[in-house]
This record gives sequence, C-alpha cells and structure tokens, in this order.
Amino acid sequence: MTAARDVLRERLGLEGLAEIRPGELAAEVGLEQLEAAADRATGAGLRLATLFATDEGPGKGFAVHHVWASAAPPGFVRVFSRVAAGDARFPSISAKHPVANWFEREVMDDFGLVAEGHPNPFRVALHDDWPDGFWALRKAFADEERVPRVPGNNPHPFRPVSGEGVFQVPVGPVHAGIIEPGHFRFGVAGEPVLYLQLRLFYVHKGIEKRFERLPWRHGLFLAESISGDTTVGHALAYAHALERLLGVEVPRRARYLRTVLLELERLYNHVADIGALATDVAFAVPASRAQVLREGLVALQERLFGSRLLRGTVALGGVKCELTLGRRKELLMHLDRLEGEFDDLVTLLIDSGTFTDRVDGTGILDPRAARDLGVVGLAARASGLDLDLRRDQPHDAYAGLRFQVPVEEGGDVRARLMVRAREVEQSLSILRQALEGLPEGGLLAPLPDALPKASSALGWAEAWRGECLHWIQTDAEGRVARLKVTDPSFKNWPGLARAVPGNILPDFPVINKSFNLSYSGNDR
Amino acid sequence: MFRILSGSLKTGILTRRDPFSSRPPFGFPAIDFGACTGCDECVRVCPTAALRTDHPAAGRKTLSLSYALCIQCRECVEACPEGAIQPGRQLEAAAYSREQLTQRAAFDVDGADGRASFRGMEVLPGPSLEESAAKLKERIQGRLGRSLHVRQVDAGSCNGCELEIAATANPVFDLERFGIHFVASPRHADLLLVTGPVTRNMEAALRRTYEATPEPRVVVAVGACGCSGGIFGEGTYASLGGVDRVLPVDVYVPGCPPRPHAILNGLLVAMGVRGKSGSGGAKRAAEPARGGSSS
Repeated sequence: MTAARDVLRERLGLEGLAEIRPGELAAEVGLEQLEAAADRATGAGLRLATLFATDEGPGKGFAVHHVWASAAPPGFVRVFSRVAAGDARFPSISAKHPVANWFEREVMDDFGLVAEGHPNPFRVALHDDWPDGFWALRKAFADEERVPRVPGNNPHPFRPVSGEGVFQVPVGPVHAGIIEPGHFRFGVAGEPVLYLQLRLFYVHKGIEKRFERLPWRHGLFLAESISGDTTVGHALAYAHALERLLGVEVPRRARYLRTVLLELERLYNHVADIGALATDVAFAVPASRAQVLREGLVALQERLFGSRLLRGTVALGGVKCELTLGRRKELLMHLDRLEGEFDDLVTLLIDSGTFTDRVDGTGILDPRAARDLGVVGLAARASGLDLDLRRDQPHDAYAGLRFQVPVEEGGDVRARLMVRAREVEQSLSILRQALEGLPEGGLLAPLPDALPKASSALGWAEAWRGECLHWIQTDAEGRVARLKVTDPSFKNWPGLARAVPGNILPDFPVINKSFNLSYSGNDR
Repeated sequence: MFRILSGSLKTGILTRRDPFSSRPPFGFPAIDFGACTGCDECVRVCPTAALRTDHPAAGRKTLSLSYALCIQCRECVEACPEGAIQPGRQLEAAAYSREQLTQRAAFDVDGADGRASFRGMEVLPGPSLEESAAKLKERIQGRLGRSLHVRQVDAGSCNGCELEIAATANPVFDLERFGIHFVASPRHADLLLVTGPVTRNMEAALRRTYEATPEPRVVVAVGACGCSGGIFGEGTYASLGGVDRVLPVDVYVPGCPPRPHAILNGLLVAMGVRGKSGSGGAKRAAEPARGGSSS
C-alpha cells in the first residue's frame, strides 16, 4: 500500500499525499495547482468520482475537493484546495474533464463560489425563481430559511432551434406514467431527435443540508430515502463512511448479510427493469412475467426482513436482520426457481424479432463519451468501461467471493439489457456463496457515543445502478459539518442526453428506461 | 407464440383473491400505554418525531404517536425498556386527517421519581372518521360510481412510493379489477394520488396539475412524506412538507413506503367502498381507519 502511495505521489506530483485510512488518500494543493493535478490524475488512469465544496466556518473560507478513483488499490485520492472567503473563485476543470461539468455548477449554485473558465456556467440545480445571493449549503444559511421566489431570474436558456420542420417538444415535469418528475426538452426534425436538454432538480429536498441537522444515527434513515430503489446502496455508503470515521470494524457475519441485501436489491431492480423495457415496446407477456418475478422477490424480502424495499435492514456497525438456517434455505430455493424463470424471460425477449428490432442499435452511448462524462455502473459497463467497486475497491464481503464483472461493448439498449441479465446470473452466484458460507458471529459492532472531531471519511458501495458515495466531514465539536452524497444518476444523466440524439422520439422511453436513472438521487 | 400461450396457461392466475389478507411482520408500532413509564426513550430514538411528548401542566405529560410521521423504522420497538411497544401488524391505515392518524395518551407524573402513570387516551379535536367519511361521500356523491381514474403525481418523493404504487397494478394486486385505472393526464382523472414531500420546485407543477383536474377532484396523499414531510421535514428551504400544505387532502395513506395493499385500501376508502365501517368513531383516536371485512 505504501508503495502504491509513493508511485501515485510521484505520478500526481503531490508532495503531501498522505494515507488517511486504508483506501483513502488526501493531499492539499494551492488553487493554482488544481488543474495540473487533475490533468496528471487523468493521465495516471484515475477517474473523477466526485467533486464538491465545503464551508469551513466563519472567516475560514471554503474548500473545493476533487475525489479521484483508481482502478485498483490504493483507492480514492482526494485533492483539495482552500478558497478564501473574500475571493470566492476556483479554477474550473470542466473544459478538459467534462465529468466535472454539473459538479462545478452545483458548487456555484449551493456555495456561491465561481468556477472560473467553466464553458457553460449556467445554473444546474437552482430553478428560475430562486434569487441570487442565497446559497443553501453555506453555514450562514439556515435549513428553515424562507427564500423568496423571484419570477424569471437568471433563466436556464434552452438551445433555440430553427429551420423548416424543426421544432421543440417539451415534456414534463409531470410525466404520463408512475415515475418521478423532470423536464425534457427535445429539439426534433420530424421524428429524429437533434438534441435533448435536461431540466432536473424538481425533487430537490435539501438532503445534504438536512444531514447536517439530523443526529448522525438518524442520518441512516435519511440515507435510505435518498433514492427509494437504492435503499441498501445508500444506507451502506452512509454506514461505511461513518464506520470508517469511527474506526469501527463490522463483524464478518454482518458483512456477509450486507452483501446478501445489496445483491437482493440489485436482483429485484434488474428484473423489474428488464420487464419495463418490454413494457416500453408494448410486449405485454414478458412485462407481466417480470412483474410477477419482481413481486415474488419483494414479497419474500418482506417475509425475511420485514420490509419489501429492505428498509431498516442495514444498521450502523452491522445489520439489523438475521437469517436463520431455515430462512436461508427458503431464500436459496426461491433463487433456484427464479433462475429458471428468469432465463425463460430473457430468452423470450431476445428470441423475439419485434423486441430486438427496437433495442438493437438504439440509444448508443459510445465508450469514449461514457468515459469523458464519467458514466458509472451498469450504463458504463454496457459501454465497454470495465469498472465495478465491488471488485476494484471491495467493500463488505466482496473480497472473499468469486464473481465476474460483465462488460458489453455495444452501448445500446440491448447492451444495457444484457449487462443486467448477466449481472443477475452473477448476483445469484454471489448470493449462493454468501448464504452457504455465512460465517458465525455477531451482527453489530458497538459504536462510540460521539464522532471524532474535525475529521472526514469516504464511504462507498456499488449499488445496482452504480456507485453510491458518501463523504462525511465533522467540525471541531464532532458534529456533522458536511455530507456529500453522490448518486450514480448524477453522473449518468448527461450520458442519457448524449445517447438520445440521432434516435427517433418514440424510442426515447425505451432508451430512458434502459438507463433507469433516479431523479431523487440526482436532485437530492 | 405457442410457447408463450402454453407458458401462460401453465402459470394460471396469480392474482391474490383478497389482497388484504396478508399480515406482514411489521406495520406500525402499537403501544401498550398502560405499561409505559414515561421514560421517553422512544421519543429520543424516533427519527421523524412521530413519537413526541408534551407537558401540558405540572405533574402531567402526554405521549403521542402519529402514523402520519412514522417511517416504520422499528427503532422505538427496540428502544422501549418496558417492552411496551410492539411491532403492530396493522398495515392498511388510511384516514381523512392527520389527527385521525394520531393517538395521544395522558400521564400523571410522580413528582418524586419522575415516573409516569397512564391516565387515559385523549380525544383529539376534529371530526371523527365517520363524520369525515360522510362528508367526503357527500362531496363526491354519485359522481364517481364504481370506477375511478387516477393520476399519480410525484411532488418530491424518493421514488419508494412510486415503486409500491406501480406494484398495485402488477398481476398479483391487479387494482383494475376494482375499477381503478391509472390515466396519463390530470384532465382525465377523478383523483390525484400525490406523493411527497412537496418540494419548493414541484409546488407550482402540483398546483397546476390540481387545477387541470375536473371536479370533484379527490386528493389522496401517499406515504409518510406525503402525509407529513416524513424524514425530510416540513418548512425547510427545499421541502414544504405534507401535500396538505399545498392542496386540500381527502385521504391520507401513511407508511414508508405504504405497501401496495395499503395504497389500494386508501383508494377504496376514498371511493367509499372500504374503511368507513372499519372502526367506531369513539375509538378513532386509538385506531385509524382500516379495512374490516372486505365488502
């Protein structure tokens, strides 16, 4: 580990690079070095995992943090720079590193720090009626602050279109189905889409600010509600961040059970999404069958864990659920049945010309764009990017389990379907290994009463959609000063906007569903 | 084609005949107030202030439990040193006001050791379940019949409620057999099924959706967040809170997220098909509306 750190220190030119804890390195650099450090990080094969700002308190200014991920140990490298309170500017890296685009604009929106040199410095998170001069994540801003609405302030310009037969199609925020709200603006020439612009953050709930207000033990329940379909993923990322901060070792049995929970979450979401793809091309039989398989899983989860969506199963320091031998057998038998039925479902889909006609070559996200935009998770793996934190920076029990990371090259709807299908196979194998090899032991590690003062830690989990990252910082009194949540959707929405142009408008629903991104996780 | 047909024939009918028959391991907490000593341990661990205590006068205290706020996390069950809080099996809670989802117990506090002893349940202000049911029935009298067109609006949810609302339409729950149908436009809807918390950025869209819905436009708030703001709170810079902060709400369906049968029950309560016979008016404070025998 020390050797890996020294190599990185050399390659990134970071004198002060120090290991905070296993898998987590940090270095402070001057603002003027931030860009060069970013270029060297990319050159060394690292990718930007998240970017955020912190308010260091009255008179202490701010800091901007770039968190880079390496494909193998040592793990995550946080490069940060201080920003003086009186000179609230930092250099933008978005022109060369497009993945930083939304991150930097969100820092501008929430902290009022200017990303100098940003190629498109418009608001991303704040809506039109939010006035200038209110920055929600600054310490001086109270959670309950009444912010006046101002009409038509600093609008988000939609790209104009002109020409014969060329027009815009606005969709949302309230959509036709049972889905979350967001606004899509299509520029179309007849049926073909010329471009897609996204207007999100309709369900911004102030979650990061709320983490600063809630007691840290209650924060777990807030984490479970960042994105309802990723309850376990976000709960684990939050728990990992706190456990690393506290230096708590989670018992082995609990780590295995957490792995079971995370894989069950992957399973029920992948099965549901494959059915939803069938729904979106009006293929009713497999759609119904997938719904039945999904319902069978969540109903079983309720019997085993008391919650259909696995709420309240992860605890800080371990898990709150136990699986007796009898229940493990019940679960294994259910998985055996599911495997056969799932195979039939996938065969039914890919053997059907009417289905493959709609998904082959539709909504292609090419590997280069996926890499530049920082796309993660199953969408990245469907575009040829071989990354998965379960293998690259193993958490919970993954280091001791055998599994493959399926990668597809096509980048189209079919590739995202096939990644899901192949991941279901891997999940089944992981579940069997974890259930059959479940070690004996305790479920919960005791926690200290208070958090360490003026400290920070990163927690991560590879959830079904992609990596969930939680970075926690405490102040001089040991209170939560900042909790940065990075949902995979935040990095993948720009990937969707890139994959849609060139397709026909009626294919948008199936392309959108093949990514199935979370609005709530993105907007927070 | 032949394979599809034979597969479907082999599968048979999967729809659960009585969707309200299952009893999950955990619904909402049920408190035996007689065994409560007023130690407030449950109040301290509750992440949403669903459990709270007040001190109306010297030597008096109250403990209230609001299903509207409860996210069913089970912390109180584990925290109670007296074992007075049990995992309740009731899950089909639905009511016409936040008060009807709240129960409040009064206690005498011993001046010497601070130990509280149970005096009795308080009756909360506001109409009883039956009065509310009658009022809603009068408002929609004869307009809806036995069919209901529903427009779902996510006004800020985490998408957990959306997953469970979508599940009501799956082959197992199959809400269409009750004459309930999801529609794509508020202009076609009799009822808005709204999840929350209502965010600052969705308030205008929610109001406009409501205005586009023809009278008598029934509003059902779904989930702890839709009923009360839940874990996200009320009155923060980004979250206004429960749906009733923006629209008049007819029926509240609590839970985090409510299970599909609870949502289905809420819709049937709004239609006047279920619920009004669920519990007597006097018991209202202690027992929110629930499905009795399926009628």
